[in-house]
Amino acid sequence: MTVVGQRTATVAVAGVGATGARAARQLVGCAEVDEVLLSGHGERPAAMRRSLGDRASLADPLDATGAVVLAGATSSQLELARKAVQAGLHVVSTSDAVDDVVALLDLHDLAVARGVSVVAGAAFAPGLTCVLARHLRGWLDTVEEIHVARFGTGGPACARQHHDALSTRTADWRDGEWSRRQAGSGRELCVFPDPVGSIDCYRAALPDPVLLHRAFPEAERITARQAANRRQRLTAWLPMLRRPHPEGRIGAVRVEVRGRRDGVCVTEVAGVIDRPAVAAGAVAGLTVRHAVADAFVPGAYGLASVVDSTAFLHELAAVGVRAAVFVGST
Amino acid sequence: MTLLRRAIAALGVAAVIAGALRVRGTGGTPPQSGGWRELQGPELK
Repeated sequence: MTVVGQRTATVAVAGVGATGARAARQLVGCAEVDEVLLSGHGERPAAMRRSLGDRASLADPLDATGAVVLAGATSSQLELARKAVQAGLHVVSTSDAVDDVVALLDLHDLAVARGVSVVAGAAFAPGLTCVLARHLRGWLDTVEEIHVARFGTGGPACARQHHDALSTRTADWRDGEWSRRQAGSGRELCVFPDPVGSIDCYRAALPDPVLLHRAFPEAERITARQAANRRQRLTAWLPMLRRPHPEGRIGAVRVEVRGRRDGVCVTEVAGVIDRPAVAAGAVAGLTVRHAVADAFVPGAYGLASVVDSTAFLHELAAVGVRAAVFVGST
Repeated sequence: MTLLRRAIAALGVAAVIAGALRVRGTGGTPPQSGGWRELQGPELK
């Protein structure tokens, strides 16, 4: 595995569900991390520690010396993030809840004062979507529109968030202001990398526009959509009718960036397919390695604001998460 | 009273049609040409 930086540190993973467990497994095997501290509810942290071996232990997340990965329930993340920043730790959050992401971004001044980075939405979507948007932006002279879509869910917490995202109001950036629409509206057929293919996607309460607007304030339109079937749309306003699976199957993300190159309007599309929790764990793990190596400036932001997308995508490819581009007419 | 019944019936029919349109149909047509290929070489620079 590539060494991102020379500095080593202890890293905590708070919440070892489907995504947190993958992030911990990534971190245990990398050179920048001395030890991974695991915490969470129930028996899972202990089971993970046995699985990961000597370089993992059970401890309070604030005992870390380098960074904390927030991979637990979304409602629990903000308080721990604030304490971690005050303790001088980098924070990497995998939450895909809009409120969490906005609250984490509000820690910007505190993070700057403490000289640490708070990376909000370092997962599959947001996270990988932000990296892809940054990468495609580099191919254009100017950016005018960014459209993100996602398909699939990771662990149970992700599935619940997916369900909730279809029942509230969304926030898309449109012509200089936030446009609030009903989730579940705005059907659009989105083409994901094979074998997922073309799937109808709908507006949903996703944090990608918030993060991408910070990174690309010049973009006139930024939207995010989520794939859903009829049952999910019809029952979005109800509590989940059945328990979510321990882990979802294959998922996909897709980012479409429209802008100009050499004065000509162009559209670039990139995507990734993978199991969402696996890819999210890889993105979170790699983000921690960059944070511990002090590769990010102090502050709170999404990956699109700070990441070197080329290096990041190279490193993700090395752990099996490979991006693709759509070639042809969309 | 007749007017009210007709209005309610019209609203009901409209709701059924709107529901059918919302649940069925598709958001577009898939691309007729092109495809995906892995990012590589110059695209990763």
